[in-house]
Amino acid sequence: MSDPAMPAARARRSLLKTDPGTSRRNAAERRFRAYGAAAVVVAMAALAALMFTVFRDGASAFVQARATIPVVIAADVVDPDGNRDPAEMAGVLTMSYGRLLDQALTREIERRNIQVEGLTQRDITGFLSAQARADLRRAVLADPALVGQEIEWRMMTSSRVDGMLKGRVTRDTAARDAKTSVAQYDLAMALRDQGVVRAGFNWRFITAPDGSDSRPESAGLGVAILGSLYMMLIVLVLALPIGVAASIWLEEFAPKNRLTDVIEVNISNLAAVPSIVFGILGLAAFINFVGLPRSAPIVGGLVLTLMTLPTIIIATRAALKAVPPSIRDAALGVGASRMQTVFHHVLPLAMPGILTGTILGLAQALGETAPLMLIGMVAFVSTYPSAPPQGLLDPASALPVQIYNWTQRADPAFFERASGAIIVLLAFLLAMNLIAIWLRRKFERRW
Amino acid sequence: MNQMTQAERSVQTGTGDVKFECRDVQVWYGEKHALKDVGVDILDKTVTAFIGPSGCGKSTFLRCLNRMNDTIPAARVGGQMLLDGEDIYDPRVDPVQLRARVGMVFQKPNPFPKSIYDNVAYGPRIHGLAPTRADLDAVVEKSLRRAALWDDVKDRLDDTGTGLSGGQQQRLCIARAIATSPEVLLMDEPCSALDPIATAQIEELIDELRDRYSVVIVTHSMQQAARVSQKTAFFHLGHLVEYASTDDIFTSPKDPRTESYITGRIG
Repeated sequence: MSDPAMPAARARRSLLKTDPGTSRRNAAERRFRAYGAAAVVVAMAALAALMFTVFRDGASAFVQARATIPVVIAADVVDPDGNRDPAEMAGVLTMSYGRLLDQALTREIERRNIQVEGLTQRDITGFLSAQARADLRRAVLADPALVGQEIEWRMMTSSRVDGMLKGRVTRDTAARDAKTSVAQYDLAMALRDQGVVRAGFNWRFITAPDGSDSRPESAGLGVAILGSLYMMLIVLVLALPIGVAASIWLEEFAPKNRLTDVIEVNISNLAAVPSIVFGILGLAAFINFVGLPRSAPIVGGLVLTLMTLPTIIIATRAALKAVPPSIRDAALGVGASRMQTVFHHVLPLAMPGILTGTILGLAQALGETAPLMLIGMVAFVSTYPSAPPQGLLDPASALPVQIYNWTQRADPAFFERASGAIIVLLAFLLAMNLIAIWLRRKFERRW
Repeated sequence: MNQMTQAERSVQTGTGDVKFECRDVQVWYGEKHALKDVGVDILDKTVTAFIGPSGCGKSTFLRCLNRMNDTIPAARVGGQMLLDGEDIYDPRVDPVQLRARVGMVFQKPNPFPKSIYDNVAYGPRIHGLAPTRADLDAVVEKSLRRAALWDDVKDRLDDTGTGLSGGQQQRLCIARAIATSPEVLLMDEPCSALDPIATAQIEELIDELRDRYSVVIVTHSMQQAARVSQKTAFFHLGHLVEYASTDDIFTSPKDPRTESYITGRIG
């Protein structure tokens, strides 16, 4: 390199021997490749570690311990008037059904001849989920013919017993836990060995609404999934047409002047605005000014639409720019109008890029938490929103907010639920990315 | 380069009426005055060649003839261009209607990424020239036959047009351009991306198209201009230097710049 001589003056060297400059260059290239590979390895390891911890902590949320015992629906307890009228039976509170369940469990322990030292009434009452009484009451009110009969009833155990079967709660921790006891632990193990308590797939986790702080075992993602789904629907219906229309105008029709330059810069800037700012905007504009209800998917959907629009516009404009100008010339050359050129030729060719951008924008919106918290979607919602369009105004939760919410709760069973919810969210994101890849492949074949 | 083979050229000038009458045509790209005071009469049923060094304005002028320059925001056009006596830059003229009558073939073959059939059928469809499917089939076949492509593709009309070879693609583009039955066909260096065999086929095709259309071709190859055209215009630095019968341009140019160019001294 520092050799001032002309190449012609250089002594002829053998090609079979690498000269020092070339060796250095090759070494630099090898080093660079190693850095790149190392970066990929680090990224993959981080991803693997994340996946591993999430699945380790969350997979058990999809499993739930349930007890199956014969329950006598005593007529004098649930139907004191004896006329089997659901309206009057509704006067009997959940508490009474709890007594039925306690009696049934006590009988079952005696029948199976299970001896547990120091077993108290509190251990028996706390063995089954508080949700189980409510479920039984609902079933009896729906079918009064059950009154007076003995039925095989399958019900959730409490979160502590659930944890015992999953290994989260051990005999040692049970001894130190005010909400359970060693006796309850022994009972759970004995009932498990006799096949009374068994762990099975937990559909409720996906379909049920959120549960209260004291009933983690009954908490599900149903409302959150519906809420997220409604919001994605709104984002898709609003952001895709608006974003594509704006991009087409900017890219194909807009005059090049100061105004369109300003618009362009601002769209790029919007993409970089922190999402919580959009939340404040939503709170101020949609809730305070327009007067839409709080916690409603419509507000969340509108806020996420605003957030997704720049992403879609940028992706769409890039896709439109990537269509070769010769195609536009060809269409204009045979006498197509500019709109025909765009809709017959340019847009179909840009479609894979537009759809990929849209789905990635949706995926981003699906995982967005901060703006939704500002518009009140972090509230505890235990009733499903109704079907759209009315349901768009009903209170709902959203997947990421539900995860955040659960991590804030004290009971360790909610930690498992939160990790399980992360798995569900990741599954949705993965599905959306797969759809994006599939669409890209499908449309690209036409070239 | 400057050894011209003019043997196979058929010299028949002035057989058609004036199709395009251009007077004092000016084009600016922003501040740049790209075309200055160009006046040309383009004849019907004649092949007119535009030659000149790169950047001389010949493609610019060609693109003015069907207002393709409208798509360039900075371009401004002045002067008068009459197609059959009507000013094509009159504010009442819709460029879409103009382009249906003045077709264009581009330098790089640019078939739509659709089927061969749809490529040719696109123009007639959007202009409503073929009301029934049978009419459309007939137009497609006729256009492909005229473009000497029918025998190559008749069994695979549903295949995508971009899968053809370069020469076939360019003939497909010609078929697409003539499917709307234009009166004038503009060709912007149609053979520059093609091999000699494909070039020869296209040149033959241009010669055949002359009995029906007025063909205007921009070319960098003086041999090509000499082979296919009856009239030649030489552009230099935005000026139309000389416009005469191809014979005269190549054998007895009047302007010294023309002579320098065709003998390879400038350009």
